[in-house]
Amino acid sequence: MSQDHSSAQHVASNLMRESLVDKHVIARTESPVSAILPDVNVIQIGGRSIMDRGRSALLPVLEEIVANQAQHRMIIGVGAGVRSRHIFSVGLDLGLPTGALAALSAKDSAQNAYMVSCLLAKHGFVYLEAPFVVQLLPAMLAAARGAVFNGIPPYSLWEHPPLLGKLPPHGSDAGSYLVGEVFGARSVIFLKDVDGVYTEDPKTDPSAEFIPHIRVQNLIDRKLRTLPIEPVVLDLLTRAKLVRGVRIINGLTAGNLTRALQGESLGTLIEQ
Amino acid sequence: MKDMEDKDVVLTELGRQLIFRSLTDASVQQATEGTSNFAILPWVNVVKIGGQSIMDRGRSAVYPLVQEIVENLERHKMILGTGAGTRARHIYSLAIDLGLPTGVLTVLGTAVAWQNAQMLHYLLAQHGIPFIEPEGFGTLPHYLMERGAVVCQGMPPYKLWEPNPPIGRIPPQRTDTGCFLVAEVYGARKMIYVKDEDGLYTADPKKDPSAEFIPRISVHDLLARDLEDLIVERAVLEFMARARHVREIQFINGLKPGQLTAALNGEPVGTIIYRNGDAK
Repeated sequence: MSQDHSSAQHVASNLMRESLVDKHVIARTESPVSAILPDVNVIQIGGRSIMDRGRSALLPVLEEIVANQAQHRMIIGVGAGVRSRHIFSVGLDLGLPTGALAALSAKDSAQNAYMVSCLLAKHGFVYLEAPFVVQLLPAMLAAARGAVFNGIPPYSLWEHPPLLGKLPPHGSDAGSYLVGEVFGARSVIFLKDVDGVYTEDPKTDPSAEFIPHIRVQNLIDRKLRTLPIEPVVLDLLTRAKLVRGVRIINGLTAGNLTRALQGESLGTLIEQ
Repeated sequence: MKDMEDKDVVLTELGRQLIFRSLTDASVQQATEGTSNFAILPWVNVVKIGGQSIMDRGRSAVYPLVQEIVENLERHKMILGTGAGTRARHIYSLAIDLGLPTGVLTVLGTAVAWQNAQMLHYLLAQHGIPFIEPEGFGTLPHYLMERGAVVCQGMPPYKLWEPNPPIGRIPPQRTDTGCFLVAEVYGARKMIYVKDEDGLYTADPKKDPSAEFIPRISVHDLLARDLEDLIVERAVLEFMARARHVREIQFINGLKPGQLTAALNGEPVGTIIYRNGDAK
């Protein structure tokens, strides 16, 4: 410990007395990061795209997850879906702020994640709330066969105000990606109801062209009207240190998840 | 989805867009822009007590400030958030050396802000002021009505989910941002940062004696200066530009008695950073 002239008591470190807002100090903190769980794959199950369709869409996905359990360690993030759209509608009508909408919406994805964990329970998967992801995920993965978590990050009332409008920018795509990035996961795979990224929404525009592989900055610059994942994931990817690519695949097509886990190129790969 | 299409379910026009269109569609986001803003706690003041600037100084800085907080309890309701300070700098430095990612640094830094919040709480406990965790924020209005203040740690509860910064490894959203977001989500009356300088300068006055004082500046003008160092986390300025409630934030010197009281009373002490379009 040391005491400087201005009487604050400091602990000696490379950052002692420094302003953590200073650009030069920040630049000095650039150095390699090591992966905490490098063999884990993060699989995100879309809320609206998969969960809301019920049994016909979800059960084949879960069967495929179980079939791959022996070869690949997986943690499953789950999205919110139509109930969040509804509570956004009511909440916005009441004038509630973005942080309140985020707190409400996270319960929808928690419900979905809990249902997925029940369906996978007999195969040894556990459901982990955010505090348990922080404290127990490595231990759980050593003991259990896999884990299911709430895809929406625990930002709650502290959700960032969006650039436009009032909808929370960090949904289950962002939360699942961030879990992958912080643990240095082997892959982050998004299961949606489209084959990947198109130049237009393929559901409404038949002339939409498929994009199998794209650099994230290129995708940001193209300013596409809609995307199958939250746009904030693209921003996060530009700053990735470990998970420098994500793959979006069609979870309604049997075999896609297995192929993606084996490293085959299908769907859309977005890379830093 | 079928149920939602049922005629018996009452949906606004915006609700129909939210349910039947893609949320990534900019026109849907645009449609939410014009919705009304309800302030949840319009009378509350969020006061952030600096970590390195106040708490790390110990008794000489903290006791007078605690006294001033107590004196204001009858008149002003306060959410008191704490910064992290020198122990966070130590553990960030160590964790970076060990190759740990930003999300882990956030978990570690949160513990330091938590320690400071506990200490502040111990000093205020005899006045009935509770410490509350993010999960307990639902009880906050009750304590504010009954006792006038609550203590919380300033870090947003992002934990491992903290996004990487554009450069380096330090968590970009720390206690300045966490407190700002509390003020924004509750539609607070004031966001006051208690530091150990009179406010904003053109450079760090601790290192550069030619630094000039800035009493009032817009977010836009401040960002346009592209300063090497700032009095507040950059994320606060980014979020302020998009905020729907918080119109200005105030920086005061917690080492000068009376500044907190003056700021709570609405006096323009220290530096005020205001949102563009809100210039008075």
